[in-house]
Amino acid sequence: MQNAQLVGLSRQVALGRELDVVANNIANLNTTGFKADGSLFEEYLASAARADQSHARVSFVRDRGTWHDMSSGPLEKTGNPLDVAVDGSGFLVVQTPRGERYTRNGALQINATGQLVTSDGDQVLGDSGPITFQPTDNQISISRDGTISVREGTSKVDSARGVLKLVSFSSAQQLQKDGSSTFATSADAQPQPDKKSTLVQGAIEKSNVRGVVEMSRMIEITRSYTEIAALLKQQDDQSQSAISKLAEVPN
Amino acid sequence: MRALHTAATGMQAQELNVQVISNNIANMRTTGYKRQRAEFQDLLYEHVSRIGTQTSSQGNILPVGIDLGSGVKTVGTPRLMTQGTLSATGGTLDVAIRGDGFFKVQLPDGTYAYTRDGSFQMDAQGRIVTAQGNVVQPAITIPQNATGLTINSQGQVSVTPQGTTTPTVLGQLTLTRFVNQAGLLAVGDNNFLETPASGAPQDGLPSTDGAGDLQQGNLEQANVEAVSEMTDLIAAQRAYEMNGKVITAADQMLSTTSNLMR
Repeated sequence: MQNAQLVGLSRQVALGRELDVVANNIANLNTTGFKADGSLFEEYLASAARADQSHARVSFVRDRGTWHDMSSGPLEKTGNPLDVAVDGSGFLVVQTPRGERYTRNGALQINATGQLVTSDGDQVLGDSGPITFQPTDNQISISRDGTISVREGTSKVDSARGVLKLVSFSSAQQLQKDGSSTFATSADAQPQPDKKSTLVQGAIEKSNVRGVVEMSRMIEITRSYTEIAALLKQQDDQSQSAISKLAEVPN
Repeated sequence: MRALHTAATGMQAQELNVQVISNNIANMRTTGYKRQRAEFQDLLYEHVSRIGTQTSSQGNILPVGIDLGSGVKTVGTPRLMTQGTLSATGGTLDVAIRGDGFFKVQLPDGTYAYTRDGSFQMDAQGRIVTAQGNVVQPAITIPQNATGLTINSQGQVSVTPQGTTTPTVLGQLTLTRFVNQAGLLAVGDNNFLETPASGAPQDGLPSTDGAGDLQQGNLEQANVEAVSEMTDLIAAQRAYEMNGKVITAADQMLSTTSNLMR
């Protein structure tokens, strides 16, 4: 009798978690380089209470994990020379106080000492360390392979300032989100130099959250939540009537 | 229910986004205005079950973990310092900068501010001043009854005194560059102030050391693009609405739960 309610509860807890994931996706609908998350559920089979009831095993729902939707977001053209979007599965490498992190957010800035940094002020790494611009540099151009060249002062020839480092992961699913639009590695996801992805200057990658999909997931969540609640209520009614019927003591 | 708070951060972020967009649109016709963009990042994650943890003594590891995000934060509203289009006005004291650099002006309190707005005027003493009356540095005084004021692309200001036919050079306008232009502090009146993030100002001559050249008789328009602002506004409004729906959904689920109890 109690099982039905506990099964319903397991589903409701899982649905609550799923709504948290959907809410985070929708909150980041306009976050540059954001990757949407999805939820994974699995069945958990409880062993039967009695050996002769092997057919009547109870299955609970358990949320097993969240996965990252690593598909590319749409490119928005901004015309800003310091905006780069990664075309492909590569990531930019950022030196944060917590260690190296990986990001698809290419809205870059220059700091007071001329270094190329993210909006957080963390250095963006090139093939040979941070990229530094000289005070007289102008007309920054970033080629498809990440080579950064500038015109120094009134010079008519390009001078190189470094090559942006691009890495990719054989199993990007293993990356862990670390906030601030960055990803951290885990034991199974080690960065490999990425030669396939290219960079697009003057554009940024928008969030890959699809509003319609998230809204329909949300409707599904609230509907199933209500359905489960109705089921729980039914169970409750049943046990209540059982109690009142069975407890009737004939006079 | 965490979803309530997560959606609230989303609504706050989109509200700020609309604020930035509306300021851009309001300044569409402001000379030398540089548009801003709201930059967002995702907030911290709660790692309910961490990726890569061992699930058995045989070395099986979790291929996916449970990461619950807590919403979005605004990380900054950087200014996009791209060149605005030049529009010809014919005014002799209208000067546009084509390229990097700012005019240096002295504020009433003696400190310096930097501006891209080259719609200059002359004050009672004949000095070149901005529309607010701040003196453009270095101060250049134009003598009375001088004619044929020209400002060439290198910033030399010259006039033809009455009774002569050869122009004389009165002075030289300078331009100031910053390593990180986006790090300047906007203080209104089209003025920017130096900050620790912008780097030290580097005074130089127009057309040298990476500074732009000057165009007399032109003004630099705002670099706001109406189309992209409108699409950004639509996206921001829709995102705001969707976050509102999440709050409604979370509320419904909570009320469903509370209705279980009679």
